[in-house]
Order: sequence, then C-alpha cells, then structure tokens
Amino acid sequence: RMNRKKGDKGFESPRPYKFTTHQVVCINNINFQRKSVVGYVELTIFPTVANLNRIKLNSKQCRIYRVRVNDLEAAFIYNDPTLEVCHHESKQRNLNYFSNAYAAAVSAVDPDAGNGELCIKVPSELWKHVDELKVLKVHINFSLDQPKGGLHFVVPNMEGNMAERGAHVFSCGYQNSTRFWFPCVDSYSELCTWKLEYTVDAAMVAVSNGDLVETVYTHDMRKKTFHYMLTIPTAASNISLAIGPFEILVDPYMHEVTHFCLPQLLPLLKHTTSYLHEVFEFYEEILTCRYPYSCFKTVFIDEAYVEVAAYASMSIFSTNLLHSAMIIDETPLTRRCLAQALAQQFFGCFISRMSWSDEWVLKGISGYIYGLWMKKTFGVNEYRHWIKQELDQIVAYELKTGGVLLHPIFGGGKEKDNPASHLHFSIKHPHTLSWEYYTMFQCKAHLVMRLIENRISMEFMLQVFNKLLSLASTASSQKFQSHMWSQMLVSTSGFLKSISNVSGKDIQPLIKQWVDQSGVVKFYGSFAFNRKRNVLELEIKQDYTSPGTQKYVGPLKVTVQELDGSFNHTLQIEENSLKHDIPCHSKSRRNKKKKIPLMNGEEVDMDLSAMDADSPLLWIRIDPDMSVLRKVEFEQSDFMWQYQLRYERDVVAQEEAILALEKFPTPASRLALTDILEQEQCFYRVRMMACFCLAKIANSMVSTWTGPPAMKSLFTRMFCCKTCPNIVKTNNFMNFQSYFLQKTMPVAMALLRDVHNLCPKEVLMFILDLIKYNDNRKNKFSDNYYRAELIDALANSVTPAVSVNNEVRTLDNLNPDVRLILEEITRFLNMEKLLPSYRHTITVSCLKAIRVLQKNGHVPSDPALFKSYAEYGHFVDVRIAALEAVVDYTK
Amino acid sequence: LLTEAGFESAEKAAVETLTEMIQSYISEIGRSAKSYCEHTARTQPTLSDIVVTLVEMGFNVETLPAYAKRSQRMVITAPPVTNQPVTPKALTAGQNKPHPSHIPGHFPEFPDPHTYIKTPTYREPVSDYQVLREKAASQRRDVERALTRFMAKTGETQSLFKDDVSTFPLIAARPFTVPYLTALLPSELEMQQMEETDSSEQDDQTDTENLPLHMSTDDSGPEKENASVLQQNCSLAGS
Repeated sequence: RMNRKKGDKGFESPRPYKFTTHQVVCINNINFQRKSVVGYVELTIFPTVANLNRIKLNSKQCRIYRVRVNDLEAAFIYNDPTLEVCHHESKQRNLNYFSNAYAAAVSAVDPDAGNGELCIKVPSELWKHVDELKVLKVHINFSLDQPKGGLHFVVPNMEGNMAERGAHVFSCGYQNSTRFWFPCVDSYSELCTWKLEYTVDAAMVAVSNGDLVETVYTHDMRKKTFHYMLTIPTAASNISLAIGPFEILVDPYMHEVTHFCLPQLLPLLKHTTSYLHEVFEFYEEILTCRYPYSCFKTVFIDEAYVEVAAYASMSIFSTNLLHSAMIIDETPLTRRCLAQALAQQFFGCFISRMSWSDEWVLKGISGYIYGLWMKKTFGVNEYRHWIKQELDQIVAYELKTGGVLLHPIFGGGKEKDNPASHLHFSIKHPHTLSWEYYTMFQCKAHLVMRLIENRISMEFMLQVFNKLLSLASTASSQKFQSHMWSQMLVSTSGFLKSISNVSGKDIQPLIKQWVDQSGVVKFYGSFAFNRKRNVLELEIKQDYTSPGTQKYVGPLKVTVQELDGSFNHTLQIEENSLKHDIPCHSKSRRNKKKKIPLMNGEEVDMDLSAMDADSPLLWIRIDPDMSVLRKVEFEQSDFMWQYQLRYERDVVAQEEAILALEKFPTPASRLALTDILEQEQCFYRVRMMACFCLAKIANSMVSTWTGPPAMKSLFTRMFCCKTCPNIVKTNNFMNFQSYFLQKTMPVAMALLRDVHNLCPKEVLMFILDLIKYNDNRKNKFSDNYYRAELIDALANSVTPAVSVNNEVRTLDNLNPDVRLILEEITRFLNMEKLLPSYRHTITVSCLKAIRVLQKNGHVPSDPALFKSYAEYGHFVDVRIAALEAVVDYTK
Repeated sequence: LLTEAGFESAEKAAVETLTEMIQSYISEIGRSAKSYCEHTARTQPTLSDIVVTLVEMGFNVETLPAYAKRSQRMVITAPPVTNQPVTPKALTAGQNKPHPSHIPGHFPEFPDPHTYIKTPTYREPVSDYQVLREKAASQRRDVERALTRFMAKTGETQSLFKDDVSTFPLIAARPFTVPYLTALLPSELEMQQMEETDSSEQDDQTDTENLPLHMSTDDSGPEKENASVLQQNCSLAGS
C-alpha cells in the first residue's frame, strides 16, 4: 500500500499516512492562581497516502474544545487508556497483570506506532483534497486545568502579585511527555519547525525554544506576547517552556547565550554560569562542529523535576544548582550538570532518535563526550575514578536485578519475546520503565561507547560523531523537504554503519556482546607461581549462570608487575580454557639493590623484604583498562595488594587494593595505608578511601593496636597548631585536597571502636574539640560542608545504648557522652534557624544524627520532629533527609 | 540708597536682591584688591590697590568724591562698640613645655602635655595563642547558646524527650514561603566575611600557585591532563 519511494538512507516513518511539517503552539492565557492554561495548536500535515480519513495525535489531560481541519469543523474522539489501566479487573490484582495491561495501554497510544489519544476524523468534504495529497491544516483549541504532569506550577503562598511572589511554571517530564501540555505527535522521530507564542503578564518572561522574534504588548499594556521561532526541525518531545518573573543575564562571553533565574538569585547565576563558555568551547572543538542552534538558554527553576533537562536550544535546571564563590563542594557538581546538559544539546536534542530502541546511541554518545569533558576538566584520575564508579554501579545493578538491554528488538509476539522477562515492568516503552533501570541504562550506554572507542580509537570515534552532526546540519537547513530531515535522526544500524565506514573495523562482536545482549561478566581469578618453569599459572573462572551475567569469550588483558618491569599479556578467554600460563621475565632476586621500572616508565626503589623470596611477582591486574563490563574477584596475597597500593600509579588499582586490604588487618597494611594517606601526590579520593579502610583495619586489630587512635596524630600534624596540638588551625580551604581530607578524616575516625565496641573517649573528645575550636572567620570559603561532616562524625561515634530491662528513654538515664553530642546537635540545629547554611547541609546532618541517636536507643524513637521537617515549605534537601528518617521507622 | 533715589517703599524681595547685589559687589572689590596687593608681594591692601580695582571693574573713580559729599546722603550712625567677650580660658593640664631655642617665639605654644605624652602600661596584653583561641571559642559558644536558648524560650519549640522540654530545646521547624532563597543565598554574615577576606585575597592567590596541585600519581597521560577538579576550581575561584 505504501508507494513512497525511499532513498537508500530513507527513514521509514511509523506514520506512513501523514507528516507534520510545521506546528504553531499558542498559549494565550496562563492563570497562576487557578493553575490553568488556554491555547491552541495548528499542525500542518502532508498526507502521504490517499484515503487518509483519520488523524491520530497525542494529548493527555488537555480539554479539547474544538478541532478544525482546513477551517472545517471536524469530529474527534479522545480516549486515554492509561487513565484506567486495569478496567475494573477485580480478579487479578497483581503486579504482573498490571504491568502487562499498562504496557498494552501505552502501546495503544504510542506515536511511534502511529497511535494517539486523540483521533480526528477528516471531514468528508476534504477527502478529495487528501487524495490529491494536498496540505491539511489542523487547528485544535484546548485548555489545561491543574495539570498533574508535564507542566509544573510553583506558586508560593504569600502576599503580592504573581511576579512579586516569584510564581513560575515550566514544562517537565520524563521522556516524551509534551502531550501533557499541548496536542502533538509526541515522538522523537517526528520533526517539524515551530512557531511558539506565549501571552503572559507584563512582569513575566516566557522562555522557550528557538529565537525570540519579538515581544508585543497587548493594547492595555498589561500583558505581552513572546514570539519564538524554531527553524531547525525538532521533535515535539524536545519542546519546552518556562514562564516566570526571571532575572536575565546575557552571557558575557557568548552573547547568543542567555541565562534566566528566579528573583534575587542573579549574583549566584553570574557566578554559576561564568564557566559555561569553556564547556561550549570544548565540545565544539572535539566535535569540530559549531553549536547547532542560533542561541542557547539556561533556566534555573524551583521544584525541578530533574536536576538537568535538555530541550532544543534550551535547558531547564534546578535552582538548587546555583551557588556562590564561597561554596566548594557544589561547584564541580553543578559544572557537571551544565556539561551534561550541553552534551545533550548535540546528541538528544539536535540529533534525535529514530525509535526507542535507538535511545542507547544518543545517551551513549552524550555520556561519552561528557566523559571526555570530565577527563579534560578534572583530570585523568577523576575520569578513571568515575569510569570505575559507573562500572561498579552497572555491575551491581545487573547482578542484583538482572540484565540491562541496550538495544531491545521487539517481535510481533507477546510474552515469549519479552527480552526482559526478569523485570517486573516492560522495557518496550520509555514510559513503562523503572527510573532506576533507565539510569543504569544510560550508565551502560556511555560505558559501551567507551568500549567502542577502545576498539576503534578516539579519533575515529570523533569522526563518526562529526559525520552524524554534519549530515544533520545539512539536512536541517533544507526547507520543506521533510524526508531529508530524517538525516537528523540516528538509528543503531546507521550509527554502526557510520563506524564501519569511518574506521573500517568490524565491531559486530562487541555490539553483539554488550548492546544486543544484556548482562555483565563475573570473573574469579587466582594464580600460582611455578618456580621451575618460571611461569605464572593464572586461573580465570567465570560465573555465567547467575542472573544478570553473561559468558565472555575474547581477549582479556592482564598486567603483571615483576621485579624487572611491568608486562602486558593478552589472554584469549575461550569456552573451556580456565588456566593460562604466562611466562615471567625476571628471576626472583631480592638482594640486588636495583630500581624497579613501573608501567609508566618511572623507576622506583622498593623495600622488597615483604615479598615471597621465590617469586618475582609484585602484583597482577586483570583487565586494568576496564575494557570489559565486568566484576573481577582476584586473589593475591596481602603484600601484593600493599605493593599495588603503594606503587601502582593507576588510581583504580589503588582503590582496588584499598578495598582488598580490608581483609588483611595487619601492621603492614596499616603502614601502607598511612603512607598513602600522608602522600600529597596521591589522588585525594584514594586518600579519602584509605581513611575508611584504616578505620576498619584498626577495629579488626583493636587488641593489638599500639599508639594513639588511627589518623589522630596525622590529623594533628596536618591541621592543628604546632604549639597547641589540641587546637585546630583556623580554617583555610585554599588547598582543596587538604580540605577534602580534613572533612573526611574525622568522619572515618569516628568509626573507630575499642575493645568494648565503643567509640574511644579520646576520639569523641577530639571531634568535640574540632567543633569547639572551628573558626572560619579568615576563610574565603564557607565551612558549611565541613561542619556538616563533623556532625556526621558525631553520629558515626554513636553506639547502641546499654539498656536495662527495656527502660524508657528519659533524660535522667542519658549517657554522658550522648549528652555532649546532643548539646552540639541542639546548638547547631538552632543556629541554623538564625544563620542558615548553604543548602541547609547542617540541618540535614543534624536530622540524620538525631535518627541515629533514636535508633541506638539513646533518645525516644519519635517521628514527630521529622514529620515537621518533611512538610512542604522546607528546603528540598531537608525534606528528603526528614522523609528518609520517617521511612527508616518502617525498617 | 533707595530713599536717596526717591523711592518711598520697596518690596521685600527687591530689597533682598539689591542687598545681595551690593554684597557681591563689595566682596568682589575686596577679593580683587587683595589679589592686586598680593601681586605686588604685600599683605595689606593700599588705596592704590582699591583704585586699580575700581577702575578695572569699570567704575569712574573721579565721581567718587563728589558722590561722597552729596547733600542728600543719609548718615547711618555707627553701632555702639560692645566689649569683646572674654574667651574662657582653655582647660589646662600640667605645665606647657616652653619652646626649644631653635623654634622662634611667635610660633604657637605646645599643646597640653596630656595630648602627646605616653604612659607605658605594665600589664602584658594576652597574646598566648591557645588562650586566645580558647577565649574566642567559648565566647562564641556562649553567645550562640544564649541566643538560641532565648529564641527557644520565646518561640515555639520541639523536644526530643517527652518528659523534658527545657534541656535540649529545639526551635520549632517553620516552613518558608520561598525555601530556596534562604538555602542558596549567603547570609549577611558570610557576605561581610567575604568582603573582609577579599582584601587578603591577593596574597592567598600567590600562595595557592605554589601549592602542589597535582593530586595524581598517574602519569599515563600528558602532564596537563592530570589537573584535578581542584585545580580548575582554584583558578576560577579567584577570578
């Protein structure tokens, strides 16, 4: 039936019968008091087949008044099956039934299958017109009352008009949710150009996609209309809106970039966005492609649905990302959010996806280039640490809940073809996914992109991206040839084709393993050294039967550090081979004094007395480059982990060694950890991790531990006054490594326990002194995070109360140490009311600490306090902490 | 002058304007005469200075004697001379020091000795670091405690113990109408602190440049790639 000829790269539209080319959205009335919106949309549609008599569009929760097609009244039916998923079903009340019914309901209105909630009958007068494949104009009047999703109103309850109250509204939602606020084809693959008009109070500003063409006042000068034009073809799902009494800042470095924030926050906005131009420069440079839109807008709003939401030429951020120059901890986090948003402008907004199963390509690419930005901005160490963290996360998730499938292919069948039967939800639609699954999906996508980079090199990778962008760019400038616009959509097959064209390499096995198939690899490794043959006998087992795992066949890199240097070996992991013989390069020799060359060419002196006299092996690493999505459990002796911690220069190796050393509570481990802790050249996150490991080791060694409590003398040396070691220096956080260490050490120290399993009095007094003598007057930075962590430290020191006959907790039988702690918490929490800290970090820590005291039986377990802090009107971080405490009562 | 010219009455405003004009005319004569006299390196103006001034201002000096002797002039009697008020003697303390020989006698006298003589005190100010810190810490703590207790006593409170509301009084949690403002904006105290520390920023900056900012021991990449988050932060924080 379909006669349309497709070009070789043609895109098969899911809607063979129509094609939106231009859409007008006009919202002429927004009522903040009633939280309602009135407006109309006008879609220009090209029929692509004759006898088109029904047009299906997406629309949710909108009330539709009137539909006209080419100025003729048209009949329409509105039916949203997701409103009542189970249809009075009373027998089968289980999650499985609901999940299936819900997936079916979502499918029934899926725009990618040509469906929709709104079905419009083309008036019979126009049938002839349609048969000639002439343009149709569909005009829909609609209104929206108290929307439950898609559009969020924030209206503070106070005196004054809406602008004075800082009332605002913004579009939000998960995946394609534009249908929540205007009728459209709510698909990422349906591109068209846009004209957007918003009439708002004169004191308000409407921010939307594309260029602001003009703002026109109404006759009475009380309202004005913002006209936006978006000439780059864009999917409805990438259309967004924010209206509020925003303060406006034109970026001083790039005049086409404008930032918007809520009243009074302009100084914070200035500081927060002052860095954005560097991110722009970075992406444009690596992609050798200019930012595709003619302008970019950032809007910071309250009660954000997600921290970062990217839309065409505009991003909506949580206002809580704003910070002043005094705040250290939030700075890198906010910059990450900005960089993420910008990466998605290229891949996600400008280049959209062909179908839901191609989502991984976009998430993968934007996540991958964001990673490159991380590497450049925060350094290789931070980057590798982040990759390791992401890898650990996805591995833990898949092993716990089952595999994450990047590129699901859905057959026509039902139950049997379900590629994710282990999950309690369908992965067929973005709307049926669990949020956690989707987060992990994005995580896996960018890790797989990194694997592809490992295979084809970064240079080729960037060339592929550049190719996708330049094709899309050319397509976007073509007018009215909507079939060309499909170049702006990316598909899995198109992406893979592009890779093979550019690199000439076959990455099919890699794709099959990680993209078409779910699961991660679980390795168990152990080794023996055969002295006679001078061979390392490595045994690598796999667990591929547990849920969430898969079998790995292929190359695996192993790095062996020997006395004579570091050597890489590539093993072939095959079906039945478990044992691998690796010849050693050096003979064991322990008496010769010679420097030992490391992987990076550095030569170091080592004290070799700890090692096995017969073996030349210092340490062994399996898959050091993280080129397999895996978990490795590797057995080597404690001294090898210690050498690895001290001398291996890769932060990931150091972190692995620290984790392994928890199981070896010996003086040698203690020494290795203390040395790392003191080493200023060492990556600060490794040093922070070493703190906690040291606390664990100290607790295991409690009966033989000598000297002052772990880390105390070190902290004293680093942060206390030379003349009076019990007093901490006045705060100076100019050196950030020291700052992070200073924050972490007390928290770790508070985990120390004596033989009675109590926190040593000395440690508690030490922490109390830190609080007492804390002096931030001369500091350029805020100490709110530091003080919050000191409260966390107090909470960590709490141990269960000794209770006699389940007596009721009263003030009289309060433990004297707890009394001291409680006094500090009371003072801190009360001071917060007078001098609130940034993001109320101190309140958050106090609430957590109070819950710990309750849980350990020192204070009566009463949720009343938390309930009051959980109320609407408290800062979101405080509410979350309070809610977590309330939820904790159920545990 | 007006009556001389034949006016019987004048409006108050007119009189005022005239007075002002005369005032400025007379002061201009004085200022100008002083300039001429200073020009010739004298301190007291002479008659000729005045004459030159008047000529310069376009006044025909010849007419002056005739005008002075005019018949209808009104004589305003000089005001009675009053006794100069006696200036009360300034409070003196101690003996004023006589001038040393190298200072000429017409110079003013030395001020009273109490204005410049120093008296050494014999109690050492507290400078012991430990004591100072201790004092600052306990002072702050006392103030904070007093303040919060006061707030707690005068307002609504919450308590951790049902049987006791006074030992650990918590100021009741109050929702805000716009919660993000207090959470994000720095407090006035912090702003003030920022301004104070800003002055010393210059030194701090040079300090940080000397700090070892490379936190990494990973040499796999080029040196500059090892820059950490903190390094970026540092350079930005100062800008």
